[in-house]
Formats: sequence, structure tokens, C-alpha cells
Amino acid sequence: MRTKATAIGAALAALAVLCAMFATSASAAPAWKFEGKSLEGTEVVMGGAIESSMTIPGLTTKCEDFLYKLTVENSAGTGKGSLTEVPLYNCTTNSKACTVGTIGAEKLPWPTHLTTVSTTPYIIIEGVKVAIYYEGEECVLGETLVTVTGSAGGSIDNAAETATFNSSTLSASKTELKALSQKIEWNGLFPTEAFQWHREQALSVS
Amino acid sequence: MQKNRKRVVGTALLVVALFALGLAASAQAKLVGNYTKFAQCPYTNLEVKKCIYSTTNSGEVVLGSKKVPIEKPVVLQGGTLQPVEGVAKFVAAANGITLSKAPQNVPGGILGIVPEASSPALVKALIKFFLENSLTGVNSTLELAKPASEITLSETNLIGEEGTALKLPVKVHLENPFLGKNCYVGSSTSPIIWPLITGETNPPAPNTKIKGKSGELEFLEEGRIAEIKENVLVENAWSAPKASGCGGIISFLVTPIINSQLGTTTAGHNTAILNNTIFTASGAAVRKNNEENP
Repeated sequence: MRTKATAIGAALAALAVLCAMFATSASAAPAWKFEGKSLEGTEVVMGGAIESSMTIPGLTTKCEDFLYKLTVENSAGTGKGSLTEVPLYNCTTNSKACTVGTIGAEKLPWPTHLTTVSTTPYIIIEGVKVAIYYEGEECVLGETLVTVTGSAGGSIDNAAETATFNSSTLSASKTELKALSQKIEWNGLFPTEAFQWHREQALSVS
Repeated sequence: MQKNRKRVVGTALLVVALFALGLAASAQAKLVGNYTKFAQCPYTNLEVKKCIYSTTNSGEVVLGSKKVPIEKPVVLQGGTLQPVEGVAKFVAAANGITLSKAPQNVPGGILGIVPEASSPALVKALIKFFLENSLTGVNSTLELAKPASEITLSETNLIGEEGTALKLPVKVHLENPFLGKNCYVGSSTSPIIWPLITGETNPPAPNTKIKGKSGELEFLEEGRIAEIKENVLVENAWSAPKASGCGGIISFLVTPIINSQLGTTTAGHNTAILNNTIFTASGAAVRKNNEENP
């Protein structure tokens, strides 16, 4: 009888350990941190792309000023956010024939969340929608509105305080951006810096 | 003296003739590189905004109970005008051949006997030899049933896989020594209208939904030309009129036989699947290429 009770006790203990292990791995979802401490409340992260370009095979569009404003918070231990502003200025193409007439982010805010891909922290942006109106008499896309839609995952470098988006990070995070029914390539390197309560504090994600 | 004068006049005429020939040659298209395929685009018409060159490399056309595989390439070429609400009207090719005539072999020939797919190769070869030769074989050629201006193209729908991408009014010319020269399904007054799409069809029974594909897009010549590979245009909700004019003076006898072989050609019994490579270019870019290469 006593042996049975011991066995049940051992089993329950094992179950408790197992649950604790799962609980630990679940809480490993990355969160926004400043100076190593988890963010409480909200913060505004802003910046401009150090470099950014979007390529449909044969035509690359670049914006000299690709800015963003991201409101971040931790919800149940996981970093979340909302891209509220994405102003795009001074955009050009690699073609002499095609110019960018107008370009603008649509259906803002775009929700974001943090995740981990093979131990690397990632930010996932969902609901991306950017409308580009190309011009140029000789441009085959002249007077055509091209809409970029989808989601994009970028890896976060805590040391450099940057987020990198490219074909590898989009593939690793199982996200994709499309335009003209084509999977497009997006390369972007964005600094991550707080501009409200945690200005000049080291931002990290873990 | 008389003889010398004649010689001078003769030489002058020859020079004029050579000069005229030279001019005629230089008046022809001087497009180079990726632009050469747009040689028949009516780009000299300043209203032409885009040049189109599309090759259907394979696919099939099912008309009632007859299935004709596309084995010989068919070319659709010309220009398009400024789109109105996303839809652009076509402008005929400069040489008048907007839709090339490529006779496709009708399996089973005039008797319509097609071996089972599981038949031995020898049986298939014998049937092909006896039923698809120059006497018993039937060719089916797709022709435009209306002027090119009745063709419409929506590049937005073509790429977006939504709505009609290419509206093509066609007729099918059935050719065989016994069928005469005027055996057609469809006509200019009663054309077959193909509202081809790259999305998913919604046909009446017994046909079922099929899907097209926008294909893979690539820009050439710094964005002046777009190439769309592996494009698939489909439609299987179209109807076709009965065949007419088959058999010459005994048409009253032959045409009903052809119609009985075709079977029901109302909506839901026909299919068009066209696998294409499409090139489009800005009309201005083609004009500039022409001017830059005298």
C-alpha cells in the first residue's frame, strides 16, 4: 500500500517537473527589455532604415528615407507592438525608365510580435501593405499601381541594436511579401532605439 | 548620242530604284535585342501604349467531345491602347497577323477514333497512320472571329489572378479535304468568346473548376519590358455554336455528322487551357529603340 503511494507521489513529482520545464520553455518567448529589464507599460521605438530596397526580379526600388514608429509593450511576457507610422520618402528605382510617383504605407497600424527562430530573436510584422505608383513613359509599369502585401520577419541583433530583413530572415520566419503576385525580395537594416521613457537606454530582446 | 542618252536614263532609273529599295528597307522595323519580338507591334501609332507578344506553347482546347492538344505554338501580337478602368483594347499587328494560324492535329482524324490511353503503342501508331494522314486527318486552327479591336486585355487581372485577363473572340477552322474550306465552329456574327482568366473558373456542370496562373514576372531592359513565364490562361464556362459550312456543296450532309461528332458544345462542355510566355513593353520604349537603331 505504502509502495503504491510512493509510486504515485513519484509520478506526480515527475509530472510537476515536466510541467515546470514546459512552463520555462513557454516563458522563453522574447520580450522587450531596456538595460536588461523587461519593459513595463509601453515605449516608442523609432528609426530610419540604414539601408532598404525591394526587388521584383529586374526592378529594384529604394527609399532614401524609410522611417518607422513602433509602439512596443510586453503582453503576458511576450513582446508585441504596433507599427503606427511608416513614412517613405525619396524613393527611386534602379531603372532610368521607371520613377516612383507616389509611395505610401496603407492600413496602418501593422501588428508586430517577437518570436525566436533557432535561438535568434525575431520581430514579425503582419498586415504589411505598401502601395507604389510607378511612372515613366518608357516604363512598362508606368501608370501602374503596385501593392506590396504580406508579412515580414527580421532578425534582431541585440549587440548592434538593429533589425535585419532579407530573404533569409523572411524564409526562416516563414513570412513573405508579394507584389504583382510575385514573391519579392526585401532587404532592410533598421536601428532600434527608444524615444520616449527609455531614451538612450540599451534595447534588447530576449 | 541617242544610245548614250538611253544609257544615262537607264542608269538614273537604276539609281532611283536602288535608292527606293534602300528607303523601303530603312522604313522597316529596326528593333534590336529584346525589342525584336515587337517588330509587328503597331508602335508607330502614338496611341499604342503597350506592345504585346504572347506565345501559347502548349495547352488544350476541348470542344464538346473533342480534345485538341496545342502542339504548334500560337502567337498573339499587337498593341494595346490606354486602359479604361483597367481594361485595354487591342490594336492589330502591323502585318495583320494578330493571331497566328497554327493548324493543330485533331486526334482521331475525321472518323474521330482515338485509342485508349492504355492501348499498345502499335495500335496507337496504326490508328494515327490510318486516321491522321493527309486524307483522313483533321486540323483545327484557331482564328480571330472579330477585328483585333474586339480583343481586350487587363494586365491587372492577368497578374492579380482575378477577373477576365484576356477576352478573345475566336472561331475554330476545321480542315480536311472532305470538309472543304469553310468548315467552322464560330463565326464573325456568332463568335466563340473566351473570357480567359489566370484565377479559378466557375463553370456549369459537367465541367469542374480549374485554375490558371499569373506566372513568373521578370523585368528586362531596365523595366521597359516585362516577361511573364509559365502563364496559364484558362476558361471552361464558354459556349460554342454548332459547326457550319462543312463539306462544301454537300454541307447539308456533312455538317450534321461533324456536329454529332463534336457532341454538346454548350457551356460546361468546353475548355481552353493556354500555357503562355508573354512579353509586354511600353510603346514609347519600343518607339525609342526603333529611333535609336536606324
